Amino acid sequence: MEELLQSIIGESWILYVLLAAPPLVFILVYALVTVWTEMKVSAHMQDRLAYMYTGPHGILQPVADILKLLQKEDTVPAAADKPLFIMAPYLVFIGTYAGFAALPFSSAYIGSDINLGAFYIIAVSSIVVVGLLMAGWASNNKWSIFGAMRSAAQIVSYEIPTALALLVAVMITGSLNLQDVIRFQEGGILNWVVFGGPLPVVQKLLLLPFTVTAFLIMFIAGVAEVNRTPFDLPEAESELVQGYNTEYSGMKFAIFYLAEYANMYLVSGVAACLFLGGWSSPFGDFMSGPLWGVFWIVAKGYFFVFLQIWIRWTLPRLRVDQLMYTSWKVLIPFLFVCLFGVGLILVL
Amino acid sequence: MEAVRTYFRDIWKALSSIAVGLNVTIRHLVRPAVTIQYPDVKLKMPERARNRLYVNIDDCIGCDQCALACPVDCITIETIKATPDQDLGVTSTGHKKRLHVPRFDIDIAKCCYCGLCVYPCPTECIVMTDVYEFSEFDRHNLIYQFSAMKPDQIDDAKAKLKKAEEEAAAKKAAAAAAAEEKKKSEQSKQG
Amino acid sequence: MELTTIVFYVFAAITLIAGAIVVFSRSIVYSAFALLFAFFGVAGLYVLLMADFLAVTQLMIYVGAILVLLIFGVMLTTRVIDVQMRTGTIHVLPALLIVAALAGVLVHVLVSTDWKVLPELFTPEETAPQIGTALLTTYVLPFEVASVILLVALIGAAMIARRERKV
Ligand code: SF4
Ligand code: SF4
Repeated sequence: MEELLQSIIGESWILYVLLAAPPLVFILVYALVTVWTEMKVSAHMQDRLAYMYTGPHGILQPVADILKLLQKEDTVPAAADKPLFIMAPYLVFIGTYAGFAALPFSSAYIGSDINLGAFYIIAVSSIVVVGLLMAGWASNNKWSIFGAMRSAAQIVSYEIPTALALLVAVMITGSLNLQDVIRFQEGGILNWVVFGGPLPVVQKLLLLPFTVTAFLIMFIAGVAEVNRTPFDLPEAESELVQGYNTEYSGMKFAIFYLAEYANMYLVSGVAACLFLGGWSSPFGDFMSGPLWGVFWIVAKGYFFVFLQIWIRWTLPRLRVDQLMYTSWKVLIPFLFVCLFGVGLILVL
Repeated sequence: MEAVRTYFRDIWKALSSIAVGLNVTIRHLVRPAVTIQYPDVKLKMPERARNRLYVNIDDCIGCDQCALACPVDCITIETIKATPDQDLGVTSTGHKKRLHVPRFDIDIAKCCYCGLCVYPCPTECIVMTDVYEFSEFDRHNLIYQFSAMKPDQIDDAKAKLKKAEEEAAAKKAAAAAAAEEKKKSEQSKQG
Repeated sequence: MELTTIVFYVFAAITLIAGAIVVFSRSIVYSAFALLFAFFGVAGLYVLLMADFLAVTQLMIYVGAILVLLIFGVMLTTRVIDVQMRTGTIHVLPALLIVAALAGVLVHVLVSTDWKVLPELFTPEETAPQIGTALLTTYVLPFEVASVILLVALIGAAMIARRERKV
């Protein structure tokens, strides 16, 4: 896609804008769809119906919600630290969106095909943490600051399992470039890293327990990193009102919301790329190609998004000590075992 | 060793209980919803549902029992006695009506739908209906006025009652005067 | 002007302005947050120098870990919300001397370096495998020593934290 565009408009800033825009369009559409899905899934899981009036089965409701948010008064509390308060939501969104730069959407499109893709995504999402802390501090509100602190502590501790689980996949594929990781897994469902990658059968079978564990942990840590139930302590409505975005309204609140949903897809997309073959078709050559690639990766990513929604409406919130216990005493030791096992099998 | 076993058992328990929970929610996801789309679809009210009050003022004998029974005092009744020459008729239950009811207000905003006013009514004219949607923009519209009497009728009734009372008083005075007269004359006879 | 040049000046400006805020801001929280932009700008400059691994590591370690820790520290300092923390100037003379010495070294490096201009068609090579190989072969001893030192620091921190709880 880059070459194609380059041949049409040549090397200019327009090229880069055009290359950077598709994920944004994707995020906006995806957020609308996901808001609707979340409401519908949550409602049906509680034997309710949710939106039914705006359009058939309420599919226009997210649009109406956005219009409402746009019209709302954008307040800044008198006691807030104005510049930081205004900057925080954008920082959070930038941190998320920067991650999308290295997320492949098809064999022909990736924002930036850098060699360190996976590592870069993990690193850049740490800007989100600073954004959350900024929002919490600038709001000058107890709930906000508690939410921000919890959020930062949580993301910092769950970044480690994410990175380690990522390493497991990277050890098998031998590359940090997500496009290469996916190309490595091409050729059907059995070549996916979660099933041991395209290796000899004996090795695959030996790898299987480790890859499945790493994959599960990657997903759990991902859910924790985007602050969703059961890891939603930073926003715990019953304790902290809304956590770090308590004081936000109107467009800024919408941006926080958008960033949260975008983040959901980001962690899902990375997990799909590393373990489930990204844009490669599960049927080998059947239904593969750049356009089918978009379909497959979005389908895989969205499956995880759905899983996150499903979990959210199933499990209650954890306590802080349970949260830390899970990360430090369960996920990380298990991942060390995985890393060691995978290394051993690959070397032998 | 024990600690190790608990550690792994806890992990297993967590995973299996999550699986159980997910299984429950996914089954509810595909089950049809139990709610109805309220303003479009309405539940039929059960026979004895307690909702908006209705007073059949033609049958009311103005006995004030409902107002006395009401725990929140939201019924206000005023009555005017009918003079003997007026025949107010009988109620459908056969009670003789002796009082005009120029005012019968129920402040439905205060009403707690306890239904206590319904039972004491001797003529069964205050009843609960199955209407439950009667919100208003102005609170004053929630004071329901059931009296059918027009102002001139009220004045008329009042005037008649006054006249009758005056006549009665005059009669009484006359009677008293007559009695006095009688007494006096008797005394003078004796004396 | 070429695109890369513009990008370079943008990142340089971000770094310098943010650095100035870090130093001159009256509020310690502002300084802490400005550090984010300084780190970010430096990471951008690393990218322009084709040091992609270093750039990402810069983000990961400085923004993701050190900065967050710093902000945590600032925020957990009691009553930071209602008391405006001020940064002031003390020990002007020694500071001047150190700054002058540092500036001298930097200027010397700047002048004495044999700056090379990249050829027109330069394809950046992967740096991560090279760094990895170097760390585990040529520089394995310093690497291991560093990790042992970190381990010691970790154990020490845990010890201190535990002893405090017992008292
Ligand atoms: S239902 Fe209860 S509260 Fe309402 S008017 Fe009758 S007695 Fe009063
Ligand atoms: S109890 Fe019945 S008859 Fe008596 S005043 Fe009330 S409504 Fe009228």
